[in-house]
Amino acid sequence: MKYDDHPVVRPLLALDGVCVAYRHHEVVHDVSLEVASGEVVALIGPSGAGKSSLLRAINFLEPPSKGRIVLDGAEVGGSRRSLDALRREVGMVFQNFNLFPHLTALQNVMLAPVHTLGIPPAQARERAMQQLTHVGLADHAHVKPGKCSGGQQQRIAIARALAMEPKVMLFDEPTSALDPELGAEVLATMRALAAEGMTMVVVTHEMHFAEDVADRVVFMADGRIVEENAAGKLMRDPQHPRTQRFLNAVRNR
Amino acid sequence: MSMLNEWQDYLPDFLDGLVVTLQLTGVSLLLGLPLGLGLALAMTARRPAIRWPATLLVEVGRGAPALVVLYFVYYGLPQLSLTWSSFACAAIALAFTTSAYTADIFRAGISSIPVGHREACQALGLSHAKELRLVVLPQAIRVVIPPLVGFCILLYQGTSLAFAVSVPELLSRAYSQASITYQFTATLTLAGLVYGAISLAAVALMRARWPRRTPTITAGATRPPEPPTRTHPSWETTSERRER
Repeated sequence: MKYDDHPVVRPLLALDGVCVAYRHHEVVHDVSLEVASGEVVALIGPSGAGKSSLLRAINFLEPPSKGRIVLDGAEVGGSRRSLDALRREVGMVFQNFNLFPHLTALQNVMLAPVHTLGIPPAQARERAMQQLTHVGLADHAHVKPGKCSGGQQQRIAIARALAMEPKVMLFDEPTSALDPELGAEVLATMRALAAEGMTMVVVTHEMHFAEDVADRVVFMADGRIVEENAAGKLMRDPQHPRTQRFLNAVRNR
Repeated sequence: MSMLNEWQDYLPDFLDGLVVTLQLTGVSLLLGLPLGLGLALAMTARRPAIRWPATLLVEVGRGAPALVVLYFVYYGLPQLSLTWSSFACAAIALAFTTSAYTADIFRAGISSIPVGHREACQALGLSHAKELRLVVLPQAIRVVIPPLVGFCILLYQGTSLAFAVSVPELLSRAYSQASITYQFTATLTLAGLVYGAISLAAVALMRARWPRRTPTITAGATRPPEPPTRTHPSWETTSERRER
């Protein structure tokens, strides 16, 4: 779904006045953002802009110090139960993959369906194999992550998040730890996921990905949203001087 | 040659002593290791009301020399009308010391697991208990086994302290033989050899099972395991520490 034609009735994910603070140092100030079902939103901006903090606040890895997060109409609170519900419905992919090195790829992917959702192991195994096939790694099911390339590890991590059948996938600089070639295979997987209609929020420094795959790009600096627009418009014709400076710097590298 | 002949006379008695020494080591570990793991989990708990008492207990256990703890249990507790056999006292005292030292080893192992793994568990909706059981502990155990084996060997040697409360273990046997024959050199050398033989066998076994190597870390894991800090018990000598 493109930004231009999205008269959203109810967004799948809504952030309302979200602030994130470490101790008393606030790094995200009053951010509001709505994400429609099936939409792909790219968060771009310089390091330290608060992109990752904001993403981590969405699934309460960094509980927001102020503001509300509403997922599919239900406000996420601090209670255990609402947190559990949130984490079942929001998948997360980390910059460093964070696969469990003592488990095989298949066991990594099966872990949460069995232990969080309580699905019988045989069924979870089937589901996990489907997801590994989905990211093109069915043949690596019984290999430990340490024996896989970085790109393969990140795809296993994507399969692990997908096995929970989340409504939203969050990506925190998924290719930053990879060389360009391995990064490309991860981006291809994400591209396919977007084409299947997955709702995604992606923190990224991959400007081509933001422009080609995202429906909407949000530019952040100094803990605030500076500018947001349909991907093509923002990338080609940024309005705010700060955005222009950032995009110029990136392009002229 | 004469020493060998004397050793022949001493050996049966010494082997009986060795059995007591091994029993004492075994019971101390059986009680001390689970307690040590429990204390380590408590020390890494989020709630200060759990963290502080555990930390205090561990600091006391490591701060007090094992012999002081042993005397406290053997001579001190009877004043509070708690009287046990000398073997039980030695086992309790050494188990306490064991729990304190191994708690620190376990804690170091637990904190060597990258924070990202815990975050991944949370993002997947795993409960705190499952995160520990399925992800943190299985990885931590691999990190802590070498220092734990090292501690077990030290504890095995440390059981000689039980001599002070007249547990009939290996050193006691050596001493009582010597007090009859006045052959201190021969008896103590034999006792040392028996201690040494078992210790070296254990070390060799460990080396064969867990050869030294850098721990496997996946490309994503940013932090190498933190080496366990201050794991040497008070009875460990400088040279032993250096060797380890």
